[in-house]
Amino acid sequence: MALIRIENKMKTAKELGILLSISIVAAFLVNNFSPVGIAWVGQWETSQGTVTARAKNDVVFDDLEIGDVTIARRLYDSGNALFVDARSHEDYEYGHIKGAISLPVGEFDAFIDKFLELYALDSPIITYCSGRTCKDSHHLAQLLIYRGYENVSVFIDGFPGWEAKGYPIE
Amino acid sequence: MTAFRDGKQRGIQLNETAARIIGNSWIEILARWILGFTFIYASYHKILEPAEFARIIYGYDLFPAAIINLSAIIIPFVELTAGIFLILGVFPRSAVFIINAMLAVFIALLSLNLIRGHVFDCGCFAPGISGREPSLVSVIARDIGFLLLGMYVFLYNRSRRWCIRQTF
Repeated sequence: MALIRIENKMKTAKELGILLSISIVAAFLVNNFSPVGIAWVGQWETSQGTVTARAKNDVVFDDLEIGDVTIARRLYDSGNALFVDARSHEDYEYGHIKGAISLPVGEFDAFIDKFLELYALDSPIITYCSGRTCKDSHHLAQLLIYRGYENVSVFIDGFPGWEAKGYPIE
Repeated sequence: MTAFRDGKQRGIQLNETAARIIGNSWIEILARWILGFTFIYASYHKILEPAEFARIIYGYDLFPAAIINLSAIIIPFVELTAGIFLILGVFPRSAVFIINAMLAVFIALLSLNLIRGHVFDCGCFAPGISGREPSLVSVIARDIGFLLLGMYVFLYNRSRRWCIRQTF
């Protein structure tokens, strides 16, 4: 009786092994060749910047990031930079960085033509959304760059970071 | 006297009917296919958008950063494979064992976050993502339902229909 039990357990173990092996091999094969495949380790520490799974089609690019709120403030004070809010209209209405323009990333196509008319391609632009767990600001930056804008940065601490420092909002 | 006897007869009849339903191999295969197709469907979006799934895992705030991506890569394929095995009837008991294990873990994690009152604020405006999730309680209830179905399939001990390979 006990031998049959052990034999059954061995069978189950083998079956589970087969099932899991097939799954794992298939998983890594597909992930490797998929155009949206992700890295084996992502960037999930907000202290390092915007969190991202590091997919092949990722919109997050470190070199565009402004990770220091005070630097963003300095750019704001210089009067040159145009702050662009990537969040929804509702969020924008509720509160945004003073002087910022609303260009929700989900409605990019609807608003980009007007935006292109108003702002030259060499305008210094700083996009932002709702913090380091949100990549809409990066997404918007990529869309703007794709449309020809040459000077785009991403303020990764977003509206919450700005507001927390008591900087000008409206 | 007769009322008592009739009541007992009725009880026995109900038990027999219940037993017949539970023992019915068509019910078993129905349960197996419900679980199988559900998990195949569940894996579909995760395989199409692994970054999004990784983000969701991150949002639970329960896992070390190092295993998030690996989990996002592997879990959907375990779901897919187990689902296919269930439908084709390959090692059905082992396949449903894995599915039950996954369901138990999902239920535990969801309940943990429910208790914590943890809400993952994505703050993202992206079509199709916000506002799609049903309430946490209904998801937990649904998973418990699936787990019960899965336990039924696991414990079923008669011969199953339409199985390519019952055991190794």
